[in-house]
Amino acid sequence: MSGNKHTRRNFLKIAGGLIGLTAVGAWGELTKNQMSLLNKRSVTFPFNPNKEISFVDDYIIRNNDEEITAFSAHCTHLGCIINKEQNGKLICPCHGSEYNLEGDPVKGPAYKPLKKYQATLSSDHKQITLKT
Amino acid sequence: MKANIKILPPRSTYGSLSLAFFSFVLLSGILLAIPFNVDKAYTSISELVVMNPWASFTRNLHYWSSQLFLIFSLLHFYDHFHKKSQIGLKKALAFRLALGVLIIFLAMITGFLLKADADSLQARQILFTLTERIPLIGKILAFSLLGKAGSFELIYVHHIATFTIFLTIIIIEHAKRIWPSALDFIIAFLILVTLSYFWSAPLHDNLNPTVKGPWYFVGFQEILHWLSHPEWSILFIALLVLLLYIVNSAKGKAMFFSKRSLLIFSILYGLLTLIGLFFRGENWQWSFPGTKDYNYTVLNNFKTESVDFSPAFTQAEAQKAAVILDRKESCVICHTQTHGFTDAHNPKAIGCFSCHGGNPFATSKAQAHEEMILIPGNLDNSRQSCGTTQCHPNIVDRVPTSLMSTLSGMISVDKYVFGEQKSPNTLTNVNQLTGHSAADVHLKNLCVRCHLGNPKTETGPVTEESRGGGCLACHLNYDAKADSAWKRHQIDQNDTTYLNYHATISLQVTDNHCFGCHSRSARISTSYQGWHETTLTTAEMPRDSIHYRLVEHTRVFKKEPTDVHHTLGLLCIDCHTSYELMGDGKHYAHEENQEVVQCKDCHFSGKPLLTPASKLTDESAIISSLRFGSITGKKYLTTEKRHQALINTWYQNDTAFLITKNTKKVFAMKAPDKECTRDKAHENISCSACHSSWAPTCIGCHNQYDPNEPGYDMLKNKEVKGSWVEYTGSYLAQLPSLGMRIENGKKEVIPVIQGMILSIDLGSFNKKLHDSLLFRRLYAPIAPHTTAKEGRDCKSCHNNPSALGYGSGKLTYVIKGNTGSFVFDPVYENNKNDNLPEDAWIGFMQTRTGMVSTRTNVKPFTIEEQQKILLVGACLSCHKENSKVMKQSLNNFSEVLKHRSSRCILPHWFTPDKSGN
Repeated sequence: MSGNKHTRRNFLKIAGGLIGLTAVGAWGELTKNQMSLLNKRSVTFPFNPNKEISFVDDYIIRNNDEEITAFSAHCTHLGCIINKEQNGKLICPCHGSEYNLEGDPVKGPAYKPLKKYQATLSSDHKQITLKT
Repeated sequence: MKANIKILPPRSTYGSLSLAFFSFVLLSGILLAIPFNVDKAYTSISELVVMNPWASFTRNLHYWSSQLFLIFSLLHFYDHFHKKSQIGLKKALAFRLALGVLIIFLAMITGFLLKADADSLQARQILFTLTERIPLIGKILAFSLLGKAGSFELIYVHHIATFTIFLTIIIIEHAKRIWPSALDFIIAFLILVTLSYFWSAPLHDNLNPTVKGPWYFVGFQEILHWLSHPEWSILFIALLVLLLYIVNSAKGKAMFFSKRSLLIFSILYGLLTLIGLFFRGENWQWSFPGTKDYNYTVLNNFKTESVDFSPAFTQAEAQKAAVILDRKESCVICHTQTHGFTDAHNPKAIGCFSCHGGNPFATSKAQAHEEMILIPGNLDNSRQSCGTTQCHPNIVDRVPTSLMSTLSGMISVDKYVFGEQKSPNTLTNVNQLTGHSAADVHLKNLCVRCHLGNPKTETGPVTEESRGGGCLACHLNYDAKADSAWKRHQIDQNDTTYLNYHATISLQVTDNHCFGCHSRSARISTSYQGWHETTLTTAEMPRDSIHYRLVEHTRVFKKEPTDVHHTLGLLCIDCHTSYELMGDGKHYAHEENQEVVQCKDCHFSGKPLLTPASKLTDESAIISSLRFGSITGKKYLTTEKRHQALINTWYQNDTAFLITKNTKKVFAMKAPDKECTRDKAHENISCSACHSSWAPTCIGCHNQYDPNEPGYDMLKNKEVKGSWVEYTGSYLAQLPSLGMRIENGKKEVIPVIQGMILSIDLGSFNKKLHDSLLFRRLYAPIAPHTTAKEGRDCKSCHNNPSALGYGSGKLTYVIKGNTGSFVFDPVYENNKNDNLPEDAWIGFMQTRTGMVSTRTNVKPFTIEEQQKILLVGACLSCHKENSKVMKQSLNNFSEVLKHRSSRCILPHWFTPDKSGN
């Protein structure tokens, strides 16, 4: 009897474990798929040729004499959205990290440069597309 | 703590009260779901706060019950640890309990995120990033917890279901009961009702630059600020959960150690929380009580209104008002008739709050107007009004660096003249003028009222008596109706119709805006309009309004030639750019350093410097578009100095055009006359040296301190006893003298005036006998702004003692035999301090060095330069200036001299050079 009990308990444990693993697997897969579905390969915005620094959604676009650089507006410290430029510096409002206009950190806590994206202008220079 | 325990009713514990608060969390949460719209979370919360007092009260109840649930849960923990030597729970239960604490925080932080204000949006980013950095499952976990960017659906689900269900199960399992005791329920109810009525749950106005997490995470925010690798904080959280688990389940040393660790952590975390709450402001910078903006950037987080069950407006009125910048702003519910705005500043677009502050979610007048900015745009509030992140932050950062804000030149020159500073070029700022030296007090008594930081303290239009006012100094306009309504209010305070006529904040900067300050000192505004200040008193002023004008009730001006640009209808802003006027972010010592526009930028020969529209700065592009419509394809004239585009010009078919900014008159720009450019003789002469028809001058000024004189401290804007008094001599309108500006090895002849021929009785201020009289003879460079189409004639420079710096008088070329020489007969007697005629810069055929002008790079002519000028003067004493020989001399003077007739007697100092001249 006791052997049966053990066998049954083991079976239930294994079955429970398998169900748990399936659930975790399903969670992982469905989430990954969903993330992939939502992941935009590129984003396009109207381009303002006169603005040296533009804050558009989650991106910062720097237009420095024909040379266009697109950064993520997410601070590399903890992801806060940087929404202002002051005296040639991009400043994170959450913990005060500062970056220069090349996206390199000049004041901590952030130590990594802002993520850069490949940016292309439309032929009429009215749209900018970032590869994300 | 034991004493505290006694304050609880006999059968109540922190745990039982915590359960009571939790029941209110659930109850109020269910009710709050009714008005809350997760698709427009921020808007819906602002709407319920403003328009639905019962919903607002319920939200407060939800907020306070959850905060107290957290606090009492933690106190419950402490209580247990304190009273029992060991808890000794079963491991599984202890684990669930430790996890439960984590879930409490998650339930609360998701609640914080659901208000979707500026604080919440950044907190969401932090939570996402931190979770994402958990090894292996981080990315999936972060997405599962917070969902797709911009949507709050998943967060809402977790808040109301996942975490709430989990917590409910754990609480029931732990407390072994579902319902709190009736007494605990009543106690909790009374506490919550009181708190919820008086203090509303926070909602960020989305304008204030400071972002902070909820109070219980502010300590964590402080820790994260110090961590370059914030992912370590995940381990730290895991460690805390582990400690909670150990303390509840382990025995002996492990339990004791973890209990102590938790206690030490709690104390330290409490300290960090206090730091984060009270000493961190914008960009998480240190900010201390008493410092500028402390109340705005730190204490604003605590600004919270009480619930008003009978709002100052009806629901129907509130519904009509627009949602502004995603928030329901209560200001515009009452102020519905206010008009007079430009499109950009229309309250329908930016509300009242964006400029005037106050409380946008208030439901009564008193709440709404608390800490309101009556006059936004003054420099001391401009960062909270005009300069907020969404509006004009870059301009507002620049303006304080402009000379109109710093007064650096004015202050440094004054101190230089008073002998308190070695150079007139030291960069300084009017805000640093805190000393009490003779010059400091002189400046405060007589000079420094005209800085942009001088606040405008009363409503009303900008007049010729206005000074300062920050952004308003230039951008404030009252139209006729607004002006008349405002005047009616001045007569009858009960007439409040002026509230409906809002002044316009616009680009329509007129010369009147500049007049208040620039009609003084160098008197550019008045000179430009052709008015010269006299020493006449009001009583002496002839009744002739064409030739005389009264300014500020006491100053009598006389008509002189107007500037040709003024006659054509050009205003100050038609030449001067936004970067000149509002600064370009750099500090300059003097106005000529800050200013960039030169005559030759518009009146050029050959090809101009151009900027295509696509290369305009954003500011120039916006201003140009607002003023003149589409900028596409345009090419703008550009200043030679610092390459700034002149946005009211363009270049088309080899012609340059200018359009006046306010009146839209178009002019084709003229090239300088060939006389100006054809010869090398005058190539180093500035346009204004020739084309200024007159300049205001004054001589014989004496400064004395009178301790009994009723005076004024212009920095503090208050009356003081004792003041410097200026005794002026005569004011004249005459052709400017000429001097030499030497910069980077380049010489340029410029107009100068008798800027500071004065005496200062230092002894009257310092009360020391050895500090007696200080005498200065300084000329000053000037941009006269009295441009005439025709330049001054040859003799007005070459035969004019005043132009050369000798002062007024008669200069005669006398020929005796074969020798010629000049004789000068001055008008003014010699000043006993230096034996030079009162109005002179230099002695006749002499020069001076050292402290000679208000600039270090401006000097009188050297003797050699004077001789060169007077050599031509000698010729002009016989030859008419339009004569053939004089015109030839412009092309090659040496050649003309070589072939002079025997009747030509040159000055005695002339010695032919090796070429035989």
